[in-house]
Amino acid sequence: MRLQCRDLAFRYAEGGKKILDGISCSFTRPGFHSVFGPSGVGKSTFARIIAAGNSHSYEGELSIEGLDTILYSYNLERLPGWSSTGKHIDRVVAPEKEELKRELIRIFKIESLLGARFHQLSMGQQNRVNLIRYLLQDFNLLILDESLANVDEKHRQSIILSIKKLFPDKMFLYISHHLMEVSTFCDQIMVFGASSGKKSYVMVEAQNCLESQAVDKQKRDKTMLEIMNAF
Amino acid sequence: MLFRRIYQFLIVYIVGVSGLLLLKQILGLSDYVIPGVSLIITIAQEAGRGYFFDVLNTLSIAVLGQAISVILAFAVGIAGRKSSWIGSFIKMTAYNIQAYPIVALAPIIFILLGDGFVPRLMIASMICYFPLLLSVLGVMSAPVKDIEHFYIVTGRMRWQLEVKIRAFENLSKLITVISGSATLAMAGAIVAEFIAADAGIGYSIRVALYQSDLGKILVALFMIGIVISVYQGILESISEKVKRVMMVPEDEI
Repeated sequence: MRLQCRDLAFRYAEGGKKILDGISCSFTRPGFHSVFGPSGVGKSTFARIIAAGNSHSYEGELSIEGLDTILYSYNLERLPGWSSTGKHIDRVVAPEKEELKRELIRIFKIESLLGARFHQLSMGQQNRVNLIRYLLQDFNLLILDESLANVDEKHRQSIILSIKKLFPDKMFLYISHHLMEVSTFCDQIMVFGASSGKKSYVMVEAQNCLESQAVDKQKRDKTMLEIMNAF
Repeated sequence: MLFRRIYQFLIVYIVGVSGLLLLKQILGLSDYVIPGVSLIITIAQEAGRGYFFDVLNTLSIAVLGQAISVILAFAVGIAGRKSSWIGSFIKMTAYNIQAYPIVALAPIIFILLGDGFVPRLMIASMICYFPLLLSVLGVMSAPVKDIEHFYIVTGRMRWQLEVKIRAFENLSKLITVISGSATLAMAGAIVAEFIAADAGIGYSIRVALYQSDLGKILVALFMIGIVISVYQGILESISEKVKRVMMVPEDEI
């Protein structure tokens, strides 16, 4: 699998300011990668371009190989309100993924929420329910655009570690604002920053921990410093 | 809800009749022009029962006409929700036609079809159809991106699901428009009967007008007001129940 872009650029309006400029990157292995940076630097735009592929307008080259199904999830998504979250999840799960569904429901701790309607859940609960739907689909690359926002830190950690364990051959692009989290659990981090005439992003190799206990704090601090000093 | 509608109507009716009686006193008009309270009550006793059934006759036309309009508006609204050329064509046509007063077309319908049930039904339907259509088109052509995204990217989106999502997300708006269109359908039926028909309360009002009998007209207006208030109250009560049932979790039902 390979996700590669060369001199990728994008602007919303003709003649307008470029939101993305000169992005050249390459993700060539499965795992939990991250797109990190302050708000408004183009992380979601970049993710949407990857998800839409050639049906999205952009300048430069975008090459996607071995990633036939790319899904993009984001944290404002909702489930329809006419039936319970459990029923909605059931309707979108293939029979062969029933076991995985039960496993994810247990890991995401949403057993007690399945009888409720989506609007009755807190934002963190809503995001967990929404993410489960995506994980139960067929995909090669899943983009998580702040999909774990409002989920408490302990839960987020166990969810990320479980996803890495359950989907070792899938690629994830995790958009997040949690510096320590991405430094600890992600593999490659694409750090976006405000463009100052040179590169508007840098690639950082992170710790890619598979267990929460296996964190090398010194190395993680180094990664965090590298990210913070990127711009 | 039902009683509030009736109270509201009674207040408006009493204020209106009081205004007429005040005008009668100030200008010293005779009972022939504006009848007194006792005369109105006498007329109500004589003609009230007949007018009540006339209003029910008109209401049956209005209800049927409204039902046809709702079905048609949803059918056309669903067909026209896409931004394809046919969708744009339907929207443009609907916006242009609704700008034209439908009542002005009534004489054509009567000339072609004569008096009777069908022209009354057509006019009642047409008058409430276009406002309904514009609302349904507005609702159906506005994507609910936060919900639809998942079904689109996973290839699960079907037109039935799209319509269901958009209708559910705008349930309050659609229900308000549908219950509001009851008044329009009733107005359409009355206008049709008033112009050229041989039954219904509109026809009775026309007869009373030719007799210059304001008492009968006031009694007819009272009957129309009461019946439409009850009908709208029932529609609103049903709407509230539908909304409550749709939003309550299954384990609480």
